[in-house]
Amino acid sequence: MKKTNFNAKKTANLLKSYFSKPSNVLLIFFAVALLLCTVYPIYALLSSSVQMDAMDSLMYNQLFGSALKKGDLSFNNYAMLLFGKYSRAYSVSFFWRPLWNSLRLSVYSSLIAVVFGGSVAWFITRSNIKCKKFISAVFVFPYIMPSWTLALVWKNVFANSQVGTGVVGMLESLTGICVPQWFVYGIFPCSIVMGLHYAPFAYILIGGILRNMEANLEEAAVILKASRFKILRRITLPIVMPALFSTVLLVFSSSMASYAVPLFIGSPGNFYVMSTMLSSLYNSSYSGQAYIMTLVLVLLGVGLLGLNQWFTGRRKSFTTVTGKSGQVSYVKLGKANWPITILMIVVLTMVAIFPIISFALESMCRIQGDYSDLTLNYWFSRTEINEYNVRVESGILFNPTIWKALWGSIKLSVVVALIVGTCGILIGYAVVHNRNSKLAHLVSNLAFFPYLVPSMAFGAIFLAVSSKLTFLRGTFSLLVIVGAIKYLPFASRSGTNSMMQLSGEIEEAAIIVNTPWIKRMTRVLFPIQKSGFISGYLLPFVSCMRELSLFILLTSSGTLITTLLSYWDERGVTQISNGINLLIIAIVLLVNFVTNKLTGASIDKGVGG
Amino acid sequence: MPSIILEHVTKRFDKFCAVNDLNLEINDRDFITLLGPSGCGKTTTLRMIAGLETPTTGRITIGDKVVFDSEAGVNIQPAKRDIGFLFQNYALWPHMTVYQNIAFGLENLKWKKDKIRERVVEMLKLLKIEEFEKRYPSELSGGQQQRVAIARTLATAPKVLFMDEPLSNLDAKLRGEMRTELKRLHADTDSTVVYVTHDQLEAMTLATKICLMNKGVLQQYASPLTVYNDPANLFCADFVGSPTMNLIETTATQIDDQTVKLPLFGKTLNFCSNGVKLRGEHVYVGIRPEFLRISADGALEGTAYSTLPAGMETTVKISIDGMILSSIMFGAIDYETDQTLNFDIVGDNVLLFDAESTEQIAKGYITVQE
Repeated sequence: MKKTNFNAKKTANLLKSYFSKPSNVLLIFFAVALLLCTVYPIYALLSSSVQMDAMDSLMYNQLFGSALKKGDLSFNNYAMLLFGKYSRAYSVSFFWRPLWNSLRLSVYSSLIAVVFGGSVAWFITRSNIKCKKFISAVFVFPYIMPSWTLALVWKNVFANSQVGTGVVGMLESLTGICVPQWFVYGIFPCSIVMGLHYAPFAYILIGGILRNMEANLEEAAVILKASRFKILRRITLPIVMPALFSTVLLVFSSSMASYAVPLFIGSPGNFYVMSTMLSSLYNSSYSGQAYIMTLVLVLLGVGLLGLNQWFTGRRKSFTTVTGKSGQVSYVKLGKANWPITILMIVVLTMVAIFPIISFALESMCRIQGDYSDLTLNYWFSRTEINEYNVRVESGILFNPTIWKALWGSIKLSVVVALIVGTCGILIGYAVVHNRNSKLAHLVSNLAFFPYLVPSMAFGAIFLAVSSKLTFLRGTFSLLVIVGAIKYLPFASRSGTNSMMQLSGEIEEAAIIVNTPWIKRMTRVLFPIQKSGFISGYLLPFVSCMRELSLFILLTSSGTLITTLLSYWDERGVTQISNGINLLIIAIVLLVNFVTNKLTGASIDKGVGG
Repeated sequence: MPSIILEHVTKRFDKFCAVNDLNLEINDRDFITLLGPSGCGKTTTLRMIAGLETPTTGRITIGDKVVFDSEAGVNIQPAKRDIGFLFQNYALWPHMTVYQNIAFGLENLKWKKDKIRERVVEMLKLLKIEEFEKRYPSELSGGQQQRVAIARTLATAPKVLFMDEPLSNLDAKLRGEMRTELKRLHADTDSTVVYVTHDQLEAMTLATKICLMNKGVLQQYASPLTVYNDPANLFCADFVGSPTMNLIETTATQIDDQTVKLPLFGKTLNFCSNGVKLRGEHVYVGIRPEFLRISADGALEGTAYSTLPAGMETTVKISIDGMILSSIMFGAIDYETDQTLNFDIVGDNVLLFDAESTEQIAKGYITVQE
């Protein structure tokens, strides 16, 4: 009797001491919350894929003479889409070929992104290339801009009278050259455009790794007479390999998820990938099959995550001791310096600056593609415009619908960024404090999971959820939840990384003098890693601001600026859609710039009090 | 053979001058330590000789080869300078085993496989790390990593070895051991060593010559005992020696060309030397702690401020005339706090520094005028 009492007391004490640590409480909280946010949607998805919808049952009853009703359980969806129950050709063209295309496209574009972004990162961090500031500032533009930007530009430039709808693009109207169909639509332009779009992402990640890597490791090899190539092959690459592999994986899954690019320059050439096929199945009301498609995308994502875990877990991660890394000696490019710099600037101008100019021009064309007749009317008109193809109540800057959508987007992005950024920091804190526990692994994997689910699929999943939890359907809260979960990976990664860099003593020094937890977070930890944490807020804001595919299934066109953009684009009013596009880019760049300036300034002033 | 000559070497980072007009000649088989407080330019100097850093101006010669000359535009790659470099944080490649780390340099020299194995095994034996051959650096302790780094550096048998604070990441005991081994290695390998440290004890015990630097400027370049006994200026006097030299500020009057009168401790002291010429009346008197001898019949009287017995010797802090002086006595002695102490200034190694230029002007002995 006494013994059990004692044991109960011991357990109670253990529990008490476990929960007296904020990091443990946070860890448990996030484990439960994230499990709910992951497991329930997947259940909703699974059950929707085997439950007959009205359209599904109608079709199957016709095709196979069955007597299914709405709500019946059946594996017909699977049999038809995956295993050729209706016909082999159906399975191939609606499932297997899009899957194959998605995989190919992702391989190509992640290769392009990593090679291009990685070499720029190497040039910036490790060589004495000129114009570093300009290059690194402009290089991230394509990533900040909406993903369809480059696809639209590609189309604007290369479309010609021999291909597709026969719209004349810039290249043909200036030079008369007509490029072949495969150059305009299909896997080739998709790979290039997506590779270029994700290159800055690879650049940011790889650049960060290279910047943190101890320069001594390379110098030691220099002294031992290794050639520059050998150093890269035997020292630099293997050391950054785990991180590099993660980068490839992230870009790969982003490419798998990409919707807008294959929609604009894939589908017209009959090139379908998983995400575009998914939405077209959904739009044709074959929602059961669309959910299967979603499920496959999710499974692929999980597979990739597993691969990443296996790869990085195989070897101990290479912690880099910081010694005298301030003294980085740059590789001298010698005579090749200027040619490389100029090449870089030309490419960047094409990729980063030209799109902006082209959008500005397009928003001023009275007739699409005719640059001789420009007007600012579409921006500044206070009255209704009704000419050629354009019918709009007033110019962009005085249009209440546009302002409302813009406000909606900003409100959503701010709320999402605040939630996500804060959760990211807290998750980072909880995970780093329990670094080796299984629960911490679980939480960090769960927080990363949404990254591997394509936006389109994510939207579809929550559509399935909202059809079960009807109080959420079509609400602002649903958008916030979806956005918050979708962008959590960014924030939890950056939160974890920032926390990793803080040694435990820093917080312990505050614990010793009895500083409450909130104060430790806000007065000690946050200020030290300010820039890292703020980027944890900034990135979700920027992503949310320019997100289309995540929200397009969940809301009406007037709620958000991006859905409004796609509305005008579908109606062929490119003046307005290009103008809105420019507006989004401008806001995103402005926020980016202001945050940089502000945090930069406050770091200088903050230290001195 | 590989003597190293630096002529007018200067390195500027933007406006900050890390090394200013440095001239240095390092002889073959020397063990030189670059000594100085952090930020004095010693690591920069080392990296410039190694070729990891490019000097702003000047000329560096290793052996009979000019490896850097700002005027002639010569700048030879580090790989072609035939040197070894031991980094402060070891810079072991985390993705290679101990064996691979050591073999890497030999592979670059296009050695045959069995030759490489032979040499690596020899190195492993030399540094007593045979059993770690297949391990990764992260599976080794600091001292073991240090040995691997040394093995890697020595494997290619470079004639010149550069070491950048190689022992600063080790604990005190291990540091002591490695010091002994480094000195032994220097003797065994017949190489020239340039060694950066901020630890004056390390510099004293290891070096054949110390190059003492401060704020990018060479202060003194001499053997450890010379630096200790005959420091060129106040900085050298203060930096070398533990406990530090007693430096007493006072005014001096020239009596004749062998004597200077110093009003100190409420008495008049005479500083006598073979030749002394005051530059100004404002001077510092420098007395090593071992020359303050406490004895019952000492001519000077102070009180015990605190006593620090360390077993073999005892440091006694003497309070006198508002100053705290250090004295070192052999054996463990414990004085009571504030107890009256009599002491003498003994030996003929008392130094006189000019306060304005901070340079040493004379070496001599002190007598107390009755």
